Amino acid sequence: MRRRARRLALAFASATSLPVESLAERAIARAEPSDAARPPAETVTKPKLRGTADVPYPEGARGDARVVLTLEVRADGTVRSATADEPNEPFSSHASAAALDFVFEPATRGGRPVAAKIRLELRFIEPAAPEPQPETAEGVTTPAAAPGTAALPAGTPAAKAAAHQPIEVVVTGVRPELSRTASLTRAEVREIPGTFGDPFRAVEALPGVTPIVSGLPFFFVRGAPPGNVGYFLDGVRVPLLFHVGAGPSVVNPALIDRVDFYPAGYPARFGRVSGGVVAGETLPPAAEFHGEYNVRVFDVGAMVEAPFADGRATAMLGGRYSYTGYLLTALSQTTLLDYWDYQGRVSYELGPRDRVELFSFGSYDYVGERTPTETITLFGTEFHRLDLRYDHRFAQRGKLRTAFTLGLDRSRVQQQDRHVRMRTAGARNEFEYRLSDSALFRAGTDLSLETYDIELGTTDLPPSTARVAESFPSRTDTALGLRGDVVLRVTPRFEVTPGARIDLYGSDGVTALAIDPRVSWRAQASEKWAVLGVFGVAHQPPAFVVPLPGFQPGGIPGGLQRALQGSLGIELALGKNMTATATAFQNAFFSMSDPLGAVPPLPMGCPPGTYPGNSIGGDLGEQPDEAAPCGERFPPGTLGPDRSGGGGQGADSRGNRRTAEAFEVRTMGSGRGIELYFKRRLTERLGGFVSYTFSRSTRSYERRSYPAAFDRTHVANAALAYDLGRGFRAGVRGMFYTGVPKAPDATDPSTRLPAFFRLDVRFEKRFQLGKKSHLSLVAEWLNATLSKEAVTTTCTLSGCEAEMIGPVTIPSVGVEGAF
Amino acid sequence: MAGSRLSIAAPVLLLLAACGSDPGAAPTSPPCDAACQDSVALRAVREMTKLAYNLLLQGNPVGPQSANSPCPLGGNVSIVGEASSNADQGATVVSLVYDFDGCAHLEVDDEPGETYQMTLTGVLTQDGTLAAQPSATTALVMGSDSMTMNGTVYDPPLAYGEEGCALELGQNGNDLSGLMCGREVGVDLSGPN
Repeated sequence: MRRRARRLALAFASATSLPVESLAERAIARAEPSDAARPPAETVTKPKLRGTADVPYPEGARGDARVVLTLEVRADGTVRSATADEPNEPFSSHASAAALDFVFEPATRGGRPVAAKIRLELRFIEPAAPEPQPETAEGVTTPAAAPGTAALPAGTPAAKAAAHQPIEVVVTGVRPELSRTASLTRAEVREIPGTFGDPFRAVEALPGVTPIVSGLPFFFVRGAPPGNVGYFLDGVRVPLLFHVGAGPSVVNPALIDRVDFYPAGYPARFGRVSGGVVAGETLPPAAEFHGEYNVRVFDVGAMVEAPFADGRATAMLGGRYSYTGYLLTALSQTTLLDYWDYQGRVSYELGPRDRVELFSFGSYDYVGERTPTETITLFGTEFHRLDLRYDHRFAQRGKLRTAFTLGLDRSRVQQQDRHVRMRTAGARNEFEYRLSDSALFRAGTDLSLETYDIELGTTDLPPSTARVAESFPSRTDTALGLRGDVVLRVTPRFEVTPGARIDLYGSDGVTALAIDPRVSWRAQASEKWAVLGVFGVAHQPPAFVVPLPGFQPGGIPGGLQRALQGSLGIELALGKNMTATATAFQNAFFSMSDPLGAVPPLPMGCPPGTYPGNSIGGDLGEQPDEAAPCGERFPPGTLGPDRSGGGGQGADSRGNRRTAEAFEVRTMGSGRGIELYFKRRLTERLGGFVSYTFSRSTRSYERRSYPAAFDRTHVANAALAYDLGRGFRAGVRGMFYTGVPKAPDATDPSTRLPAFFRLDVRFEKRFQLGKKSHLSLVAEWLNATLSKEAVTTTCTLSGCEAEMIGPVTIPSVGVEGAF
Repeated sequence: MAGSRLSIAAPVLLLLAACGSDPGAAPTSPPCDAACQDSVALRAVREMTKLAYNLLLQGNPVGPQSANSPCPLGGNVSIVGEASSNADQGATVVSLVYDFDGCAHLEVDDEPGETYQMTLTGVLTQDGTLAAQPSATTALVMGSDSMTMNGTVYDPPLAYGEEGCALELGQNGNDLSGLMCGREVGVDLSGPN
C-alpha cells in the first residue's frame, strides 16, 4: 500500500508554530533571563538556521514521534554534535544524523561569533489526512515545508504539547575546563546574599574553600594557604582582588563576565601558584551603548561603554569610590579608611579577524590613624595594570593573543617611610588552534620582569621583625614560562586534557626551574552523569602570609613550594537546571611557606599553672599577647631585651619571634576531603545551592604533625533565592563552619574553638524602565545574625577562654541600575 | 601565631571599632605645664636608651659590650660597658655608658603625653637590672653630667630644649624619678610592652 505523505515539523521552543527566529529568541530570553547583572554588553544573538531544516520521515517508521536534540553549534555555524535526550528509534538516530547537516548563522556575543548549545525539538508526524495551512494564533506562518514533507500543523494536539517543552539556547562562547569546579556568572552571583553582587566574593561559598575569618576575603583552598591562591583577570596576575577588610572586589562587577574557580590541576595557562586559582574574565566589547551604576551606603560605582568609529571601536570606563572615609570621620576622629578602583578599556577592530585592545585597571586602599602629631598608615596598598592586547583569529579554527603588560604595586605599612614598590613589565602569547574536530591545541609563553624597591626601615625594628623585613630586599625578579596542552575528545564520551608548563624563576641571584605536568579528564557515563578526574603538579616561589601588592619574598629562600593535586568526582545532571557534584580530593604540599599554619596554636597569655610570671614582676603593665613568662626565656649566656616600662622601643618579643620563625620555616602539608555541591540556577524562580566540604588539612614540621591553623572539618554554605513576582526577589544564605584547632588548655578538654554560623539576607525590588533599562532597590545584610567568631584562646591567671571578635557585619542599602 | 591571625583581622576590627566609637568631640586636653613637659622629656631619655639597648645589645653574648648605630632620625648612639644576664630570672645586669651624638627619635603614641620628638647629645651612665620578663623587676640608676635635649613634646606640641642638663635618675619597676636640670621629675612607664 502506498504510504501517504509523511510530514515533519521542526520547532524551536514552545510556541505554536512560531517561526524559527521568534522561537529561538524566546528560548534565549528564557535561558538568559533579563536581570540587572546582564548588561547590554553581554548581548548575545542566537544561532539562526540557514535555509530549512526539513528532515525526511524515516523509512519504515510509523506513527508520530517527538525527539529533543541537544546541538553544539560551532562558531562557524556548523553542528559539532547532536545528541537525542532520549532514545526513540528510529527517529532519534535519524534526527541526530540529519541535524549534523544543519547550518546556522552562528551565535554571537558582543558581535563575535561564539559556540552555542541549543536544545531543539523535532516532531515527526505521520499525517493521516491533508494538513491545514499552518498558522499561529498571531497569524505567523511557519516556514514552508519541503516537497515530501509538511510544516507542523498549528493547533494540532502535538503542536500544543510542544508549547510546554523546556527548550533552551545557551550561548557558551567558552570552552568549559575540566578542572574547574565552578563558574560563577554575575547574573547568578548577584542573587547570593552576602556577596553584594560581586562574583569574586562568591568564591568563599564554593566547596573546597575555607575562610579564615567570616567576611574577610582571604581563604584556604583545599588546605593551601591564602598566599598560594592566585588571582587573575583576563590572564593578568593581580596581587589582590578585594578592597581592605571585608571590602568588595577591586574590579567593578559590571565588567565581569564570569569568575572561574580552579582548586587543583588548573589549565596550563595558569602558573606560578600552588594553591588554587580564581580567574575572572571580563565581558567582551559591546556593540551598543550601555552602562551600569550603583549607589550604596559605603560606596558608589559605575561603568559605561560606548561604540565609536562606526562600531569598529568601543570605549569603556568604570570605577568605584568609597566614601567610608567621610563616614568614619563623622563617627571616629582618629580612623581613616579609603578605597577606590578604576577600569578603562579601548578596543578597535582592525579587521574581521584582528582586534587590538588596551585595558587598564587598578585599585587603592588605605587605613590610617590620626594621632596628635601625624597620620599613621596602618595599611596602604595600591596596584595598577595596563594590558595591551592584539587578538587574531585563524578563520574558525583558532586564535592568537599577544599581550604586553605594565604594572605597579605599592604597599605602605606602619609609618610613612616604610613601603614596598614593585614595577612589572610582562609579555605573553596565548595560542589556540583546533587540529581536528576532536583535538584542540593550546600553548603559550609568558615573561615577566619585576623590580622591587623596598624600604622597611629596619634600624628601629626588633631583631626578629628586622630579620623578616630582610626577606624583602630591593631587587629584580624574572620569570619565564612555557606551556601547552591538548584538549582531546578521544571518544564522544571521553575527553582528556594533558598538558604541562615549565617556569624558570630568577630572584636576587638565585634561579629555580619548575616543571608542572597536569592532566584532567571527563568520562560521560550516561546522559545524566559523568566522572571527572584531575591531577597536577604546581610550583610557586615562597609567598607572604596573604596576597599583598609588592610583598613577595626575594631570593627564593628555601626553594620553590611544590604541590601535588588530585581529585576525582562525579557530576550529575538532575534536570530542571539542577546539577550535583561530589568530589574527593587529596593534595600534598612540600617546602610550603605558610606562616599562618606553620606552628600549632598557642594561647595568648599563660595557662594557669604554667608560669604565673605576671604576679612577680609587675613592671610591664599590660601584656596584650606577649606572654613572655610562659616558660620561654631568652637564651642563657645572652643579653635579654630591655622590656621595662611601656612601649616597644625595639624590644624583641615572643610574638615577634614566633611570627618570624613561622615566616621562615618550611613545612610539609596535606589537604584531603570530600566536597558536595548541589545547585539549581539562581536565576530560576526558585534557585539556590548547597555547598559542603568535609576535610582535614595538616602540617608537618620538625617531626611533628598537627592540624593546620585554619583547618576546619566542616564548611557548609546554603543559599536560596526566590522570585516573589512583581519585581520582588528575596534571598537568604547560611554559612557554617567548625572552629579552628584550639591551643592546649588544661581547663578545657575541647580541641577546637567554637563553631561559627551566620545568616545573610537580600531583598530586591526591581523597576523596569524600558526595554533595556531598569532600576533596583537592594537591601542586603552580611551576617544579619550578628554572630561573633572565636579566633584564638586567651589565658589569664583565672583561666582560658575563647576570644571572640565581631560581629563582622555589613548592612547595605542601595540602588542599582542599568541602561 | 595568634598575633598573625589578629593582624589579618585587624582591618576588619579597625573598621568595626571605628564604627562603634563615640562620635562626639574628643575632650579638650589640659595644656602641658613645665612639669608635664619635663616628664615627657624624661620619658624620652629613658625610651631612647631602651631603644639603643634593644637595637644594639639584645641577643649579644654576655660580657664586654661595645656597639654603635645610627639613630632612626639621624645622629648616632654608642654603648660601651659590661652586661650579664640570668635567663631563669629574666633579668639582665648592666653597667653601660651611652653616648648620644645628635641622636634623634620620634615616638608617636595614642597617648598624647607619650608622644615626642627628641634629639639627645651627651653621655649617660646606666647601672642595675633590666627586666626582660615579668619575673624580673627593673632597678636602675642612671645619670649624666651634661645632657642636651631638644625637640617637641606633646600635647599640645611644645618646643622643649635644655642645654647641658644634669640627670640623676632612678627606676624601680615602672616608676622613673629623680632630678633633671635640678628639678624633681617623675613618670610612670606603665603601658603596653
